[in-house]
Amino acid sequence: MIQLTKRVEFCAAHRYANPRWSAEENARVFGRCVNLHGHNYVLEVTVQGEPAPETGMVIDLKALKDLILETVNSRFDHKNLSGDVPELADTNPTPENLAVLIWELLAPALQGCRLARIRLHEDGSTYVDYAGERRAAPSAAGAGHAA
Amino acid sequence: MPPEARGAPLAEVTRAYQFSAAHRMHNPAFSAAENARLYGRCNHPTGHGHTYRLAVTVRGPISPDTGWVLRAEELDALVGQHVLARFDRANLDQLIRPADGVTSTTEVLAGVLWRLLDGALPAGLLWRLRIEETPNNFFEVNRPLLQRAADPPDRPGPAAGTQKASRP
Repeated sequence: MIQLTKRVEFCAAHRYANPRWSAEENARVFGRCVNLHGHNYVLEVTVQGEPAPETGMVIDLKALKDLILETVNSRFDHKNLSGDVPELADTNPTPENLAVLIWELLAPALQGCRLARIRLHEDGSTYVDYAGERRAAPSAAGAGHAA
Repeated sequence: MPPEARGAPLAEVTRAYQFSAAHRMHNPAFSAAENARLYGRCNHPTGHGHTYRLAVTVRGPISPDTGWVLRAEELDALVGQHVLARFDRANLDQLIRPADGVTSTTEVLAGVLWRLLDGALPAGLLWRLRIEETPNNFFEVNRPLLQRAADPPDRPGPAAGTQKASRP
């Protein structure tokens, strides 16, 4: 089993807000991030699979790059994540939530291999990893991860 | 299925820090010649130093209110208070206790930083520490590794516990 990672960059604006909170509460929790600002995001998409005997490839890197550009960059690059992306209409555009959305967009679109990890760097000193895991639903009490 | 019925997504968030510290690798139980042989130039009598780079990873559910696993400023404040305030511009050999290990290798330092940060963060949230002594030498400790070390497969697991307790 091989893991393979493709790296792309996109640049986007965002601001943090919880619409259920007052302006004061948003400012208290999110600080300067309530102001519209932006980042040069670096996205690392890791897929996992067996190299095909005919090609020696887990996935054609060009096909993976094209899929990421069509799925992620077309939605996010040089956009405002607080308004331009319908999938984020009810979601605060933190790197955590962006990583989950990117996972959910890419995972069903991959063929011949499976998505192993989304790593999203917001800047040189912060990144988020998401591997499709969820805490057990509230109804399944007792089965959850410690948090 | 609505998102809330699936449970909160579990994400890992990593933030990077750095600190500059001096140290000398030296085990007082060994002779000077043995220390010199074992640790080489890292045993230099008056010490040397590094700019250590520390990546701290927390893992947990994404809050539906904030979209965060943990407020970045909260992590920065805890790392600042428990690690940077003590270890930046410091001599590691004065900070590492005999119980932590024989000398200030980065392996020993990783265990010390894990103990400090795991004690300061909400229970179970700390997931991984990665420490670069130089860009060419880096060390990692993480919760699954520690759990495996605490409960190796050849030791009786929880299911076998009663069996062990019933032994004379």
